[in-house]
Amino acid sequence: MAESPPLDATSREALAELLLSVADDEFVIGFWDSEWTGIAPMLEEDVATSSIAQDEIGHAKVLYELLAELTDEDADRIAFERAPDAFRHASLMNHARGDWAFSVARRYLYETADQVRLAALAGSTYEPLALLAGKMRREETYHLMHADTWLRRLADGGSVGRDRLSNSLECLWADAQEIFAPLIGEETLVREGILPEPMQAMSMTWQARVRPKLEPICGALPAATPSIDGRMRRTSDFAWLHGEFTSVARSEEAATW
Amino acid sequence: MDGERVWEVFRQEDEGDPMMHSGNVNAPDEELAMHYAREMYGRRGESHRLWIVAREAITELDDPDLLKPPFDRSHKKPGGYVIKHKLQAAKERAASEAGE
Repeated sequence: MAESPPLDATSREALAELLLSVADDEFVIGFWDSEWTGIAPMLEEDVATSSIAQDEIGHAKVLYELLAELTDEDADRIAFERAPDAFRHASLMNHARGDWAFSVARRYLYETADQVRLAALAGSTYEPLALLAGKMRREETYHLMHADTWLRRLADGGSVGRDRLSNSLECLWADAQEIFAPLIGEETLVREGILPEPMQAMSMTWQARVRPKLEPICGALPAATPSIDGRMRRTSDFAWLHGEFTSVARSEEAATW
Repeated sequence: MDGERVWEVFRQEDEGDPMMHSGNVNAPDEELAMHYAREMYGRRGESHRLWIVAREAITELDDPDLLKPPFDRSHKKPGGYVIKHKLQAAKERAASEAGE
């Protein structure tokens, strides 16, 4: 692996924020979608959804490991020993699983935004992140195909599915913006090329891409922009999920897994 | 789910290997059949290529009159010809010719 130039403390801190934000998005959406295991619409879909959820948690794992290396911490502790308030996922991931249409709507919004984000990160000057983003993109291509398949299916499959999908998209639209919420230290990241594009620019690319897909389904979506605290808000839904995904680690604190 | 169909899945492990029947998946159409075949028979990196075939597109032949004829057909099996000794002689001949 190519040696990246040493980072100063400010850049390192900003990079840690970036890694944590992406990792937490993947981790939390992975756990929400894993809530479908055993109860998805059909057996094959159950396997597909669970496998994708597992992929997302796998991406979170490598990102936490990258972060742990940078900050000299332990990846498992970052994942399982943080309080709910220390998580940095976007508000989109604050909602409980909901019904199938809700999960499809969220996955579609997330996968399309993640695609824009990964395309940018693949050009990062921080070599380990660029390499990792390149690998993740390959797997996310399939995730996006799967989400897109279900979006079209629900949109074209009769009024019940379409209404539920449409309502979910409207409900999640504002919170989906927060995937591109400004990061602490973002100017530093952009200046150093660690983040090759400001979040605001990515947000516009993403909106231009998804509006033509979504508006035929749910009508005109309101103007929306990311907010400053888009990665700081926590809900009781998330507090519940946090209790779930930390329960095994808490059951035997000194154990080696 | 309504309109579910069965799709037979064939898997190739490496380029050039034969396509082997792996099993089948239920899916309402080709698009989801592809996703599910990928998840069932390709998600661990074990496949180079998959063929996904609607079961109704398969022409089946299982007529015993055609496949299990009543008469002795051992002469149609390669085992019906004993070539062990001929092969041995041919090998020896080739070796002695090469040595000359």
